[in-house]
Amino acid sequence: MSCWYKDYDALGGIVISSRIRLARNLSNMPFPRRMDAQMLRTLKERVKVAVDKMQDKVMLKFIEMNDIPENEIKAMVERHVISPDFANSCRDRAIALSNDENISIMIGEEDHIRIQVISAGNSLDKAYEIADMIDVALNESLGFAFDSKLGYLTECPTNIGTGLRASLMLHLPVCESRGEINMISDAASKIGLTVRGMYGEGSKASASFYQISNQITLGISEKNAIENLKVIAQQIVEREKSARADIDKLNLMDTVFRSLGALKYARIMSSDEFTKHISMIKLGVDEGIIENNNIKPVELLISAQPYMLMKNHIAITPLERDEARATMIRGLL
Amino acid sequence: MLCQKCGQNMATTHIKTVIGGKVTEQNLCGYCAAKKGYTGFADGSISGLLSSMLGQVMKSDNGVFEQACSCCGSTFADIAETGKVGCAECYKTFETELLPYLKRIHGSINHTGKTPGSTELVVTEFIDKVSHLKRKLANLVAEEKYEEAAKIRDEIKELEGDK
Ligand SMILES: [Zn+2]
Ligand SMILES: [Zn+2]
Repeated sequence: MSCWYKDYDALGGIVISSRIRLARNLSNMPFPRRMDAQMLRTLKERVKVAVDKMQDKVMLKFIEMNDIPENEIKAMVERHVISPDFANSCRDRAIALSNDENISIMIGEEDHIRIQVISAGNSLDKAYEIADMIDVALNESLGFAFDSKLGYLTECPTNIGTGLRASLMLHLPVCESRGEINMISDAASKIGLTVRGMYGEGSKASASFYQISNQITLGISEKNAIENLKVIAQQIVEREKSARADIDKLNLMDTVFRSLGALKYARIMSSDEFTKHISMIKLGVDEGIIENNNIKPVELLISAQPYMLMKNHIAITPLERDEARATMIRGLL
Repeated sequence: MLCQKCGQNMATTHIKTVIGGKVTEQNLCGYCAAKKGYTGFADGSISGLLSSMLGQVMKSDNGVFEQACSCCGSTFADIAETGKVGCAECYKTFETELLPYLKRIHGSINHTGKTPGSTELVVTEFIDKVSHLKRKLANLVAEEKYEEAAKIRDEIKELEGDK
């Protein structure tokens, strides 16, 4: 399978990607904050054995985070392979990763284990199915900490119960331009959902890409939490759709093609300016205004992130990076 | 980053104050932030909110803070300061203190989702059912309803025999 942001057929729509994360802990050792170096080694060894044991179901590569260069770790955050929190404290920690990077198991994040599955488009059920399968397989070897009344026990009480965080990444340029995001966010929070920026907690929403996820994990089943999220996301999608239908077509075309022009010809492209334009390009492609099939907005969005750029271009100063971004984009358009 | 007040805990709350055009910034742990009256919404995160909620309990009731978790050594003060629990066992050790907060965060304290494997659940149900029946038996005997009590006693015997 290709990695989620290159799964082009599934990416054309308001729901860009689906993500499932399960928080799990081993029952006989303290949570990561209270672990010493020896415990961390033991944890990694045990998880490695468990991961090797399920190779017939899913192939994951075990990687020591110390072996990954600092810039690549930040690029992994930009590709959503690891969480920003894990990137900040991943020394001596490890990750088990599928070839396409859609499946990752962070070891020693806030919890002993964080199973993450991402897939393109509106596909939470598919992602959950994979995460669930991995969870069952790992539990056979590791025996996760579980209480019949409180469910899966986690370091942060906000994750206790199912340990499930299901998220959908939505592209809401028109709702955003109408100033409706706060209202959507308030309504979502009343029913136990949160709306955040593209890179999760504390990140600013970059150019109308938003993540909506469940907040409640105790007293609600995995299935119901996912269904709730899907229902509300669908309502938001409908709102964005009808808002799009209301826009004056000529104005919309003008905005979209101006953004395309900027990306095609600019010589210096800052991250902020880029995300604004790429959001318009995505809107243009989805609304049939841009008919060039070679333009892949989501892949561009990810590949033009600062550390992703630095991987392929030796750009040291911010200006050099902005130049490299403009060059890369021109090359692709 | 460590808390700028106590220098001991992780700073979880960032506080920006503007007085007479002068901006001062402080990074505090949940406990110190709660002591200064910041309720944890400052960083917009639930864990910030939790540690300040727990911090407020600390101020009013110092009794629980002597006890340490036998598995990881956490005291309830540790949990309150960070908003994070030390180990799985802590949920038992500090059950009385934690349950009200779980209820406030999730609106429930009863897990209704997945159970790992099926063996554990079967065992739990078995124990629960037997202890429930034993309580019922005791009541029936007290009420001198011997016929019904005999039925329950047989049921218990059967369940225990199945072990
Ligand atoms: Zn402090
Ligand atoms: Zn403990």
